[in-house]
Amino acid sequence: MSFVEMDHIRKNFGSLEVLKDVSLHMDAGEVVSIIGPSGSGKSTFLRCLCQLETIDKGSITVDGDAMVSQPAGDGRSVYASPSHVRAICRRMGMCFQHFNLFPHMTVLDNILEAPRIVKGMKTNEIMPTAEALLKKVGLWDKRDEYPSRLSGGQQQRVAIARALAMNPDIMLFDEPTSALDPELTGEVLRTIKQLADEDMTMIIVTHEMAFAREVADRILFMADGIVQEEGTPDQIFEHPQNERTQNFLKSMLRF
Amino acid sequence: MEYLLNIVPAVAAGLQVTLKIFIVTIILSLPLGILMALGRISKIMPLRKFMGAYIYVMRGTPLMLQILFIYYGLPFIIQGLRLPDFPAALIAFVFNYAAYFAEIFRGGIQSIDRGQYEGAKVLGMTYIQTMRRIVLPQVVKRVLPPVANETINLLKDTSLVYILAMNDILRITRSIVQRDFDTTAFIVAAVFYLFFTFILTKIFSYLEKRYAVYDE
Repeated sequence: MSFVEMDHIRKNFGSLEVLKDVSLHMDAGEVVSIIGPSGSGKSTFLRCLCQLETIDKGSITVDGDAMVSQPAGDGRSVYASPSHVRAICRRMGMCFQHFNLFPHMTVLDNILEAPRIVKGMKTNEIMPTAEALLKKVGLWDKRDEYPSRLSGGQQQRVAIARALAMNPDIMLFDEPTSALDPELTGEVLRTIKQLADEDMTMIIVTHEMAFAREVADRILFMADGIVQEEGTPDQIFEHPQNERTQNFLKSMLRF
Repeated sequence: MEYLLNIVPAVAAGLQVTLKIFIVTIILSLPLGILMALGRISKIMPLRKFMGAYIYVMRGTPLMLQILFIYYGLPFIIQGLRLPDFPAALIAFVFNYAAYFAEIFRGGIQSIDRGQYEGAKVLGMTYIQTMRRIVLPQVVKRVLPPVANETINLLKDTSLVYILAMNDILRITRSIVQRDFDTTAFIVAAVFYLFFTFILTKIFSYLEKRYAVYDE
């Protein structure tokens, strides 16, 4: 059994079919990168895993624990109880394209907030972790600043530290560098690479082809709501079989 | 001058009514307004509809009518429920101002980026935790100017209690003017209102400065 099993996920926004039977199995420690054109459903797929979207059909199991299951027949998928779903989601950390830091809290409080109110930890219990994480992302000296005083790259690194403070088993990245100035992407990508080197399980939705190729164990190419092609970085980038993949990569590497 | 010294304490006697109505209304209607705003945008459709209708009625009829209704009309609806003037006026003020505050807070809550809810959710926060720790603190900063407006309005609206023959600043002032055929008392009353408005303005600009430590 794989660590994360997402099977036959279907999702509609009104009459628009965003996900048409998408599946992903991944093992602990694996890094999967999802690439594809805008509107291909890759972000939606990631958001389904951490409950920011609900799925219409399919099943999701994390570490053997069913979050959503698909009943026999043609019905909609059935979610576990809200508290159970929340418990499963607590094993995931998520980073967004626009960081979503809490602007009214300092960098340090952004890190401390969830461990304090969700896990009920005392400030002095979580402080060593917070300090270690902020040092890891190189922002310990910015701990008393408000997020708006930081660059985009710094904000995203704080967001990564904030997610890690909840001690997740799997990290999800939804286009973590898409909102950044080009010269700031490197610092964020290096931080994510460092997590990969520490065997963190990760799913990364990204437009950074070179990065996906370097950091991922496996690449999913999505378009039109389905996985068009899946394989190792070498297979996808050197020998793409699917015509859609070939065209997409050609357009990405045009310059 | 001697005349002034005579009427200032008389007008000041009305402070008690004016300030009591003002302070109790603020203390009760602000939290009530937040709850109503949450009801107004709730996922529960009947609650949302009810709050919408409630706010429509409270904003759509004169506050004075509401005061009169609660004082004179309520005893006919609920047999024998005749409230004394102060509680009757207070109920009208609290429920009326809560409706206005609810709309201010609703606007504030809806102006918060969806990403804030998502950021809180993926960290495992519940709806209540998200509201209390993430959304509402940011809403407070955004709604301070309109809340200041309403608060100053309330200070002046307290004069409506004259309709229940309650002796607030303005009713006392009017009786002095009618008694003495001298309009000096009006100026005294104006100075009182301006003094408290000044204090309120100071309080709100202090709050705005405190919240200015972060940008969004």
